[in-house]
Amino acid sequence: MISTDPWVWLSAFMTLCSFMLLYGEHPLFRIGEYTYTATVVAHSVVTGIETLRIRYAPLIAGKQPFLIVSLILGFMALFVAWRKYAWLASFPMAILIGIGTGATIRSVVMTDIIGNARAVLLEASRVFVWDPPTQLGYIVRIVFTTSALIYLLFTLFIKGPLSKPVAYISTLGKYAILLYFGLTVGNAWQQQSGLAVSAINRAIRQLLGL
Amino acid sequence: MAKLPELKSQHIWAVVLIAYVTTAVMPLGAPFKIFDTTQEIYSFVESLPKGSIVVMGGASVFAFDLESSAAMISCIKHMARRGLRLVNIPLGVEAVQYQKYCTDAARVDQKYGGPWKYGVDYIQLPYIPGGDPALIQLLTNVRSAVSADVYGTPLDQFPIMKDVQSYKDIALWTCPHWGITSIFRFVTGERRIPTAHFAQAAAYTGSYGYRTVFPGLVYVTNGWLGGAGYEKLMGFAGVGHAANDGYALSSALLLIFTALGNITRLSQTGKEEEEEKVEVK
Repeated sequence: MISTDPWVWLSAFMTLCSFMLLYGEHPLFRIGEYTYTATVVAHSVVTGIETLRIRYAPLIAGKQPFLIVSLILGFMALFVAWRKYAWLASFPMAILIGIGTGATIRSVVMTDIIGNARAVLLEASRVFVWDPPTQLGYIVRIVFTTSALIYLLFTLFIKGPLSKPVAYISTLGKYAILLYFGLTVGNAWQQQSGLAVSAINRAIRQLLGL
Repeated sequence: MAKLPELKSQHIWAVVLIAYVTTAVMPLGAPFKIFDTTQEIYSFVESLPKGSIVVMGGASVFAFDLESSAAMISCIKHMARRGLRLVNIPLGVEAVQYQKYCTDAARVDQKYGGPWKYGVDYIQLPYIPGGDPALIQLLTNVRSAVSADVYGTPLDQFPIMKDVQSYKDIALWTCPHWGITSIFRFVTGERRIPTAHFAQAAAYTGSYGYRTVFPGLVYVTNGWLGGAGYEKLMGFAGVGHAANDGYALSSALLLIFTALGNITRLSQTGKEEEEEKVEVK
């Protein structure tokens, strides 16, 4: 049964407007683009104000008086728009960056640096354990990871007896990176296709009440 | 020689649109394989005890995340069937709408004839600003980061939230959002909570590596192709099947258009050469 909800019709119309970009320069796409931009900005502002209201409710109620500190810091951040007193904004910014960095640095090191290095070593240790296709997969990963790292780390290599073998490995690493880019393009195409079908499917299913 | 019609981008657009619309309305049933990674997530959800708390959380924009809705919707249906409970935690402004869309589209609420009741079996929290520090705060003490649901009702009024105090109460974290790195770092890495990522195709390769970084804790599958597999495991054909059909059909069309474009180009090249020869005379 076809939906009688005007929002569903609007949603389907806006979906179609978005896809008009692929057809070429078209007024319907511009309607979609401007509506989307305006809606996103307006929504962010409303959400921001609502979040502030909820967050500072305990302060107004006198339950969490220490929230006054973050409120003052927030006001100080607004001075960034006033050149004469912009230096005031540097304090909350410094605190923000300091807390953010302090909170994430340990996790970043553990997960993305040590964790990834450990994962490569773990895979290297499994090369001789699994069945031949899996072994081949691990070998490819180890060779590609190592050669790509060599390409990135030794783009400029000092001339000497090792420069030729390093250049060969570096070239292999370059092709490994190019292969990755190729796969990324394929994945991006897959993503756009999946996204388009999901959006059209959502619009049609809601419109037809499927 | 007969003149070949010029292949315009508008023609391609129209044909591909028809193909996508057709597959959305009439499933073609294009074949696909259920990935082991999808089966792993299904089995993990199946192994969770009844009443376990599952989180859907993360951050990104609605338009990008929509791709992963196939897998997330199937997973929510699975959770409802297994008697699990769901807490939606949006860490991005647009994540609220997306999480609400997924939960609604799963048709698990009692108003759709499903088994779940809002506040008892699932809840939608509001946007939680603050990035990584806010996520850490939330994992340590949920109420210190958020005090009401998305509609402004205090959390203490919901039965489900009585069992959700900190990260220790979470059995599984699902993330259908693009922004997964923070989840892997703070949820999986630091707090050892099993995490299932329904990845967008372009994010899949980046996320997959974390399976080796945190073996046994990270589950990753493709948002719509894995979603189609999840739908098959759940016994229904939804967005994932339609997306798979659309992709198969559009890929075939892409090949046809590439061939047509090359034929047109080659025929024009021959004609240009003939014209050049005439000019020489």
